[in-house]
Parts: sequence; structure tokens; C-alpha cells
Amino acid sequence: MSKHLIQVIDDYAETKGDQVAYAYDGEQYTYTELKAYSDALAEHIDAMNLPLGQPIIIFGGKSFSMIVAFLAAVKSGHAYIPVDINSPKERLEMINQIAKPVAVIATEELPTQLADIPEINAKQLEQICLEKVDYHLTHPITGDQTYYIIFTSGTTGIPKGVEISYNNLISFVDWIVGDEFKLPADLQMLQQPAYSFDLSVMSLYPTLYQGGTLHVLSKKTTDNFIVLFTALRTMPINVWVSTPSFVDICLLEPTFDEAHYPKLQNFLFCGEELTHKTAAALKKRFPDAHIFNTYGPTESTVAITEIEITNEVLDEYERLPIGYVKPAMNARVVDENGSYITDGKKGELVIYGANVSKGYINNPEKNAKAFFKIGDQQAYRTGDIVTMAPDGLLRYFGRKDFQIKLNGFRIELEDVSALVSKEEHVKQAVVVPKYNSQHTVSMLIAYVVPAVHHFKTNLELTAAIKKNLAGDMMNYMIPQKIVYQKSLPLSSNGKVDIKAVITAVNSQ
Amino acid sequence: MDDKQTVLDILQDLTGEDFSDNLDEDLFASALLDSMGTVQLLLDLQDKLGVQAPVSEFDRNEWNTPAKIIAKVEAAK
Repeated sequence: MSKHLIQVIDDYAETKGDQVAYAYDGEQYTYTELKAYSDALAEHIDAMNLPLGQPIIIFGGKSFSMIVAFLAAVKSGHAYIPVDINSPKERLEMINQIAKPVAVIATEELPTQLADIPEINAKQLEQICLEKVDYHLTHPITGDQTYYIIFTSGTTGIPKGVEISYNNLISFVDWIVGDEFKLPADLQMLQQPAYSFDLSVMSLYPTLYQGGTLHVLSKKTTDNFIVLFTALRTMPINVWVSTPSFVDICLLEPTFDEAHYPKLQNFLFCGEELTHKTAAALKKRFPDAHIFNTYGPTESTVAITEIEITNEVLDEYERLPIGYVKPAMNARVVDENGSYITDGKKGELVIYGANVSKGYINNPEKNAKAFFKIGDQQAYRTGDIVTMAPDGLLRYFGRKDFQIKLNGFRIELEDVSALVSKEEHVKQAVVVPKYNSQHTVSMLIAYVVPAVHHFKTNLELTAAIKKNLAGDMMNYMIPQKIVYQKSLPLSSNGKVDIKAVITAVNSQ
Repeated sequence: MDDKQTVLDILQDLTGEDFSDNLDEDLFASALLDSMGTVQLLLDLQDKLGVQAPVSEFDRNEWNTPAKIIAKVEAAK
């Protein structure tokens, strides 16, 4: 990519301005509108004289104004931090404290005012976007400057903000639109996850870079299946990007197949393990489609490995491989002492190269643990246990620590346990995953020693605890099930023995 | 075991709660069931009771309490 990504997207306003860029809840927005709105907002941000290079929080759901704000931030020389509308007040405040943004653009009403920084609210945003401006792209984010910052779960109740540079992003986009994924030229891509989740980047920038259309599912739509399937049937999508969990929902519907969705040629999965069961069921429904499994931590820009799941791959592997490392990225498997493993045995995956983040924003302690250099290249310790075949094929076997994936969401068990333990009705708690036969987590279960309380039933107690937790953590982190105990098993160092509880829960 | 008890057992397994005395609890409003939990509910109803609930016709406002789910199961039989 020699031309700047933003310039490429802007140019479509000239060459095919009426092309729909964004289709959302029955509304359609063209490349002309995308450029005009983001230019107007960029000019407004420029006029605010904010310190350049400092991030801006962009708060909201899946509306068109979200991507307008992303592009405007980047045009005006600022990284953006997408924060989802379903984020509780506590999380927004923590992100504000950690990232020290210079402004917030609220496409929806904020759960709390952020002190000391200017806010552009939804009403102002609407007015600003209608202004006609003649904007010149002179100082967009470029090179190693941070382009976006995505916050993930930390281990102690404090989230970590992964900084992804322009160069990181470009390396990723070039790969997705390259030969490996066999994507159609006219991209009509599904946009399923929230923008605070980096899987959303897999549809967003490749589609805009190619001048295609994003077909966006709102949370309201995906939550109610009758609405979801009505919406899906009307979408002319040819490339599907989602978590495996989401396609599992769709596979429950017998008409989700090639005959009813003849345009669907490609499926790209990321965010959690693609199980053999899901891939095999999908391949049966869409025998001619290309199904790709991809893998990558948020710290390495969405994804860094890929493999097409063909019938041969399904026949050969019971647990599907995560694939081969993309160009400009490298992988090593290391043992507990940090020595390289070369004989195909299991070890921790270390990755280095063009996709690796510069680190977590304002978090030198965690950066020192996770990031380092191999030669002059940025490297990251993934914490994932893998094997590497002589031809480079990587297979995943689990985690080194207590990080899990639930429906594509990355969750640190210590983080959730710490937050649940702080709840007022809880004396002590440990949160553990329940696995299904396909090695994926089906739910989180909290084992709780309750504090003295006045509730008549456990149902009332659970409802009260869950209500309070909703104010402190993202919805997907809240344990589905709470089991009350008199005490929890302790390990020799006096802490709750999380491993023992995980074993007990999963041996039933 | 009767259908009502089977539904209550399925719900208890999914949410950890015994709804015998709370048949009108709103499962979605109280965040006891999310969309993946709903998927599991539909699969369990199919496996354990032979009730086919086409997901494309699944309007969650019609399935939001234990009582409504039990009524749906009884109607399907």
C-alpha cells in the first residue's frame, strides 16, 4: 500500500461516490457521505487545537457515526479508542484514567461525564457533519504512530490498552485483501462484533480499502433470533466475518446454507477456537465456500495466521490447526526457560514482526513482561501453548495462564474473580470456565461464599449480585451461573486454588 | 419426569437457578440468559424433549419466562 489508507478511502468519493459504504438497520451511507462527514469532523477537531498524537475516545454502538468518527480522528492526527455503548461507567472511567485521552466523541449518551476533557455529543456531531468543508489531508496518523487503541481484560480488574500503529494495521489489511484469502473484488462483508473488539477491524478496513460495503448487524438485531434471520436474509453479503460462536447460532437454522445464501463465498473466523464440529457443519451447508480459520491476539493486530479448512483438513485433524504465519510475521515456540523448541513439542508461542503492537498504553510494567525485541523486530509472548510442524503449521493446545475465550471475548479469570470478590454480597469468589466436549468454554461459573445477607432465596441474591456486577464489568464477563458454597479450596500459599476448582467443575 | 420438570432442570443447568417458585421471572431482563445461553436452551429442548423450535422464528419476547417456555413445550407436544 503506497498511498495512505485514508486517501484510498477518500478517493472512492470521487471515483464511485454513490457506492454504499455502510448499510446499517435499513439505512445506507455512501462513500461521498463518509468523506464529507469525516472531513467536516476532522476540521472541527483540528480547530479544537488538541495536542497532536494524543488519543480520542469514541463511544457508541454500531452506527455510521462511529466509523465517521474513527476516520475523522485519524485524519486530524489522533489515535482513537473505541468504547462500546454497553460498557459500564466504571470501565469508561478506568479507560479515561489510563489512556488520558484529549477528547471524547459520544455518538450515544455517555454513562458518566468525563471530567477535564472536551466532549462532542451526538447532537453536536450531527450538526458538525452537515458542514461543508474543503479538507486537505495534511497530518493523518501514519508510520509508527498509534492508529487505534483497543482495551482488553487485565488480570487485576484493570484493563490494558493495546496500541496498534498505522504500520501494524496496513500490514494486516494488505494480507487480508491479498491472494491468500481469495476474497471477491466487490467486497460485501458482514460486520458482526462491537467496535471495541478487534475482530471488527477484519471487516472494517479491508472493506473500506477495497471500496466495498459493510453490512452491519446491531446488537439489538443479533440478540433476538427472529430479527437476526430476517435481517440476514436481506443482506447481499459475500464474505462472512464472525466469531465461531456466532455462526453456531446461524447453523441452528436449517435454511442457513448455500441454496439460500448463494453469494456467500468466504468465511473468515477469528476471536476464539474454530471447532471441528462447527467447521464440518458449515462445510456441509456451504460445500463450495472457502472457510478460513485465523488466529491472533489483539496485540498483533487481529490475526496473524490462516489456514483454509478444506475437507482434507477436516479429515486429517480432530482439533483444527490455527494455520501458517502471515508474511512479515514470524513465530517461535519456546520452553519454560525461553529456549527455542525445534522438535515439534509443545511450548509457548512467541511472535515477532510487522503486526506486533508497540505495547499497552501507559503500562510499562505489563509491557516489560509481554513485549521484547528479537533482533530489531517487536516481539510478543502470547501465553498460548502451541506446536509448530516442520512446514510451519501451528496447532493450539490451550493457555499458559488463566486467560480464556468465551464466545470470542477474551477474559482473564483472575480479573473476573477479583471483580466478583469485591461485590458487596460476596465474601470470597472464584470464577472458572465450564468446557464442552469441543474444548471451548460454554459458560463461566462463579463459586461464591456469600456475605451475610437478607435475601430469602438464592435467586434474589444472584439477581442482586448480577445487577451490581453489571455496573463494574462488561456483560460478557458476568458469570452465567453462581453456585454458593460455605468455603473454597485453598492452595498451599493460602490463595483460592483456581486449578482445583476448574478440574472439579469439568470432571462432572 | 414431566415436561415442566425437564424444562426447569434445563434452566437450572444453564443458569444455576431453581425457578420452581419463580415461573414468571424474566430470563433476559435479569441477564440470566444471553444469546449463547438461548442457543443451548434450544438445543437442550430438542435433545431432551424433542421440541423443534426453528431459530428463525424464535422471538425471544415469547420465550422470556420459565412459564412461557413450559407452555411452548406443552403446545409443541
